[in-house]
Amino acid sequence: MTTTEPTADKRGTTLINHWQCGVPVTQGPVLTPFLLLLIGIAALGLALAAIRFFSPLGPFSGMNDVYAWGIWKTFNVMTLTALGSGPLALGMAAWVFNRQKLHVVMRTALVSGFLFYATGLIALGFDVGRPWNFYSALMPWRWNSESAMLEISICMPLYCAVFLSFEILPLILERVYYTGNERARVILCRVAPMVRKAYPFVIVGAYVIPLMHQSSLGGLLLLAGTKMNPLWQSPVLPLLYLVAAALCGFAFTILLLMIVCLRYSRDLDAGILAELANLLSGVCFVFLAVRLSDLIWREQLRTAFAFDRMSLLFLVESGLILIPALALRFQRIRETPRALLNMSALACLGGMLYRFIPTSIAYMPARSTAYFPSAPELVMAAGYIALGSVAFVLVINYFAVLPGEASAWNHTFRPFGWPRKAAESSPVMPDATGVTLERGI
Amino acid sequence: MSVALRRRQAFKVMIGLGGTAASAMLPGPAQAERTAARSAESTTEEHPAHPVAPPDAIAMLYDNTICTGCKACMPACNEANSLPTDTLLSGGIWDMPLGLNAKTKNIVEPYQDPQTDEFAFVKKQCMHCLDPACVTGCLFGALVKQDLGAVTWNSSLCIGCRYCEVACPFEVPQFQWQNWNPKIVKCEFCYDQRLKEDLQPACTAACPTGTVIFGKRSDLLAQAKERISTAPDKYFEKRVYGEYEAGGTQVLYLSSVSLQKIGLPKLGSTSIGHYATKVTSVIYKWLVGPVVVAGIFGFFIRRNWDRHESERLEHEEKTGYPDQL
Repeated sequence: MTTTEPTADKRGTTLINHWQCGVPVTQGPVLTPFLLLLIGIAALGLALAAIRFFSPLGPFSGMNDVYAWGIWKTFNVMTLTALGSGPLALGMAAWVFNRQKLHVVMRTALVSGFLFYATGLIALGFDVGRPWNFYSALMPWRWNSESAMLEISICMPLYCAVFLSFEILPLILERVYYTGNERARVILCRVAPMVRKAYPFVIVGAYVIPLMHQSSLGGLLLLAGTKMNPLWQSPVLPLLYLVAAALCGFAFTILLLMIVCLRYSRDLDAGILAELANLLSGVCFVFLAVRLSDLIWREQLRTAFAFDRMSLLFLVESGLILIPALALRFQRIRETPRALLNMSALACLGGMLYRFIPTSIAYMPARSTAYFPSAPELVMAAGYIALGSVAFVLVINYFAVLPGEASAWNHTFRPFGWPRKAAESSPVMPDATGVTLERGI
Repeated sequence: MSVALRRRQAFKVMIGLGGTAASAMLPGPAQAERTAARSAESTTEEHPAHPVAPPDAIAMLYDNTICTGCKACMPACNEANSLPTDTLLSGGIWDMPLGLNAKTKNIVEPYQDPQTDEFAFVKKQCMHCLDPACVTGCLFGALVKQDLGAVTWNSSLCIGCRYCEVACPFEVPQFQWQNWNPKIVKCEFCYDQRLKEDLQPACTAACPTGTVIFGKRSDLLAQAKERISTAPDKYFEKRVYGEYEAGGTQVLYLSSVSLQKIGLPKLGSTSIGHYATKVTSVIYKWLVGPVVVAGIFGFFIRRNWDRHESERLEHEEKTGYPDQL
């Protein structure tokens, strides 16, 4: 943990603060009307998913034999796990490249990443036609080692259930430590050093494995061969998918941090956001460089600037990445919250477009059939996203996730339960009386 | 069968070797399993750019200059594979599929150019590629290339991900969207039904005109080339479709009209499996790539972790605030 120096207030904006540790949201009601709406959408989506489990795929989706992959795969998995690559992008920067400032925002990235992966996996579970045969994943002799699909279907659940969960574990242990009874603390005091000992080893896996499966998501599409538009079909698809994941990871983490800080009226830390923006701009340039050299290498540059439908799509996608890449080179823009918010949103959109187009719009098999997701398909997709959002709001309310000032943290956590009870019974540990703080998890 | 067997045996040895090696170097049993899986790449190239058909490879040769469009092959196929008839269009009377679908593994489609008088038929079914993209992509090996070259589907290994439908350049595999227990429907060269009993597939057996014939791939290829040399003007581009397409297929076509017009896609001569795996098979060979990356990451993470720890303790002493991970 490093203390960040307050950033100089150059333009009279309210940037100045420093994030030092995760602080739970302790004020305001948890169940807002908006959250109730999200819960409603999530419930509707999950109810449909339950019905889908007892019904064939046909009546539920607009998918057909030509477009065998619908939005559950192309959007909820292919696109949204790119946004969920925040833990990968930030973790690599923080742990491998020693950008120490970023440790404090890791928790936000971890929780959002975990939820994107978890909801994506739920979506996959209801998308496959014969899920009961998935037990073969436990039998390595059945694995077809050259299949990119195998790599994804083994790696993604493994990453989400083991490595990401382990990275998030301190968050949960910490809450148990501060809100639990004496016995829990005694146990945790023994467990915590073990977690610390294992941590640097386990996170190696947490960064190698997503590198593998995020690139394999692009590798999947290599087999589609000539069915994909030549602007997108390329041997470097795995690399581009990986860079796009890093791009979306950085962009979405900035966006998310700014949005939640606005929502809960927390102070922003310009230093950390600017660092993230700097990295984002760098990744955008790497993406564009790889994309451009690939097009030149495959002699598709003329197709790219033909200004027909696919070329325009390509130009929009690249433009959405180029604008933030250029804009965020300027320190002034990096340190202006509004501009940073807009630019990270654009980068997010561009990265998502790149991840979405190859499997949907640029996927053009010879047989003339159209695909548009059916209503239940859309509701289920929205339901998974709503489920993730609800979980995120609950987690930031009950766990110390969002970055804040260390002094603002008085170890108060909302007790689980109904909000009225929460207001009545005050939390266990007021800090004001100068209780010496014990070592955390 | 020989190729599949060799790979499988190699697999079992590798699980032992790779597993022990990996568990010594990598954290977690899951990693070790991954090592084993990836190291199954055998020393011979699994996906050569231009696969060579084994000498016993069988094939079908379809010549649409002979086809009369009698569709005798279609009920024969349905009967051999116990498929229901697709009577949706005819109001419950005739088998009238609109294309390959969940009830149809084999279909004869007409093609007619409205401007000119050009007219032709095309019989569609699985092409039984020499290096099938669907088999390369199938995660638990539900689709396999059997001996003689038939590509078959195994219901007990398929998870219904439909990657084969995305991978197949000929858009052959079909998914039963209306079935709660959906199956992948595709021509399997009548492997279980007839090939095992030394019978030829139902469609070639039923063909009354000799349009579609069954035999060894090398023989049929020679025969097709002879037909072209005796009547070169009769055949489009004077070539056999399927000789080199996507690395070569075990269904060969001779056509009087443009192949693309009758719905056979224009494909390169490189096997799609080769295109998709040529880089990854090197990176993942013996899991060297991931292990090296893990080693590099491990070095830097350990170093940065130590720095982080000393700083944490210092910070904690100074401010009294405990650190978080």
